[in-house]
Amino acid sequence: MSGLKRDWTGSAKQRDGPKPVQKQVARNAYTPMFEQLRNELDEHHDRRERIVKASRDITGLAKKIIFSLQRVRRIEGQLPANIQAEVDSRLAEIAKLLATLAPEIQGINRYRYARSLMCLEELVEALTFAHYLKTQTLIGYEQLSRVVEDLARQAAAPPAPAPGTEDEVMTDVRDTPAASPPEKPTQPAAQTPSSTPTISLTQDDYLYGVFDLTGEMMRFATTSTALTGTMAGGGGEGDGGEDDDPRTIVQDMHELGSFFEMLPVAPGNRFAWEKKLTVTRQSVQKVERLGYDRIIRGSERPKGWIPDLAAGERGQAEELE
Amino acid sequence: MAPPMIDPSLFDQLKAKIEEDTSVRKELDQILDDLNEHVSFTQGVLSRIHATPRSKYAALLEQVEGGIRKEIETVGRLATFASQYPYYKYNYKWTRTVQDAISTVILCAWLGGMSSETKPGEVGRLLTLEDMGELFGVPVNLKDRDAFHITIEEYLLGLISVIDELGRLSVNSVTLGDNAMAVQISGFIKDLHAGFQVLNLKNDTLRKRVDSIKYAVKKVEDVVYDLSLRNLIPPQEDK
Repeated sequence: MSGLKRDWTGSAKQRDGPKPVQKQVARNAYTPMFEQLRNELDEHHDRRERIVKASRDITGLAKKIIFSLQRVRRIEGQLPANIQAEVDSRLAEIAKLLATLAPEIQGINRYRYARSLMCLEELVEALTFAHYLKTQTLIGYEQLSRVVEDLARQAAAPPAPAPGTEDEVMTDVRDTPAASPPEKPTQPAAQTPSSTPTISLTQDDYLYGVFDLTGEMMRFATTSTALTGTMAGGGGEGDGGEDDDPRTIVQDMHELGSFFEMLPVAPGNRFAWEKKLTVTRQSVQKVERLGYDRIIRGSERPKGWIPDLAAGERGQAEELE
Repeated sequence: MAPPMIDPSLFDQLKAKIEEDTSVRKELDQILDDLNEHVSFTQGVLSRIHATPRSKYAALLEQVEGGIRKEIETVGRLATFASQYPYYKYNYKWTRTVQDAISTVILCAWLGGMSSETKPGEVGRLLTLEDMGELFGVPVNLKDRDAFHITIEEYLLGLISVIDELGRLSVNSVTLGDNAMAVQISGFIKDLHAGFQVLNLKNDTLRKRVDSIKYAVKKVEDVVYDLSLRNLIPPQEDK
């Protein structure tokens, strides 16, 4: 026999007896007030818990989208079909989560739980990166905001969306910007009732997401240069292939870097801003270095100049091209 | 020609927004400087209760109420300005100061101040969150629209500061020969302690502050124990 509990006199205590009645908290004049406040606080805590959970899931999905996108090797109007399919299915899942989240963060609650909504930064990162890979441009704040709003709305709308609605969100990102951007996103919005709660992006969500975009662009530049031997950039499908000097990702990184250097520090969290800016500077310099390396020993060397070094590498690169 | 990497209008748009945000914060800081000044003055006056016998409360509380009137006025300015912007975007800037303002009002009322026509002032009166909203002329625990208000957390945190202050007062009231005050404080703090135990707390600021209440409880219990040991507890007339 083991596990017998005894009281101080040594006689065995009864196990599994009826549970002692839960001690009633002594009531006093203030108890009702505290009970009312407790209910209010519980509501707040429960809501935050739900938001944190959904946010974590969305972050995970957005990260997976980014990993899929990192398997892309060049900037062109259309993502490879298999990657596009992966991105679409993840986005559909994100849309569902956003739709469950939307009613919780309406009005005053949008900023109340802003710190629990880090997922939006991650989503911005994924969407801006996808947009960049297709168009070699940075999607604007308002345009992206509409994309996210439509994502949340489309899954929330109970009637089955018109065929192709899901694709439309992605076409916003996929379309070449040669078509005028403002008219596109209005269509899905018009189909759904405007009363459907949706999720608005704050400017901070956007800016911090774009900060992270520079890191993804750096990784993309590194792998694509290493594997294709060319610097990712213009000359892809659609846009001015005849331009004598198509823009490369090096110039894009420079422009993005200066963009952040010129912006005044956002006053919300200066520390976070400075940290992100430092990382961005490092990413810019890494891509710079890539551009330099490619000029020095790259395959697109000036005519007539044949480096003795890295000859093998060059041959390989030319094959790939 | 390929479109540029970054649409030039995007930069201007973002820059303008950041600059607006900065100027809002500057304006808030100015209002909060004023509020801080009034709050710390009022707290300073209130600290004199520890050296003031009960018979002279009236004059002291009058001075405190003067400070509170200025607090109320400044909170009004803050409410008007802050209501133009998302409440929780800037709430963190003023929440500490507003908590302190709330605690001065609760303490003043508990000591018998803040009497109104409907509610006469008496020692031991606890103002509720709703009273707070009425006094400051702002909504409380607002959920259906985005405007300035006093939150539950701010009220509770303000209340905890009062508990600490009363713990100290229980000692000093005995020094001043007012043993009945110490006994009354003891009852009040124990009731509130029981009240706070009703709450389900998460691991946040509120929980940490609530945890500190037990020290105030212990302090007043020690005082009451010392008094009872020496038969110094005055007989209770009521009840």
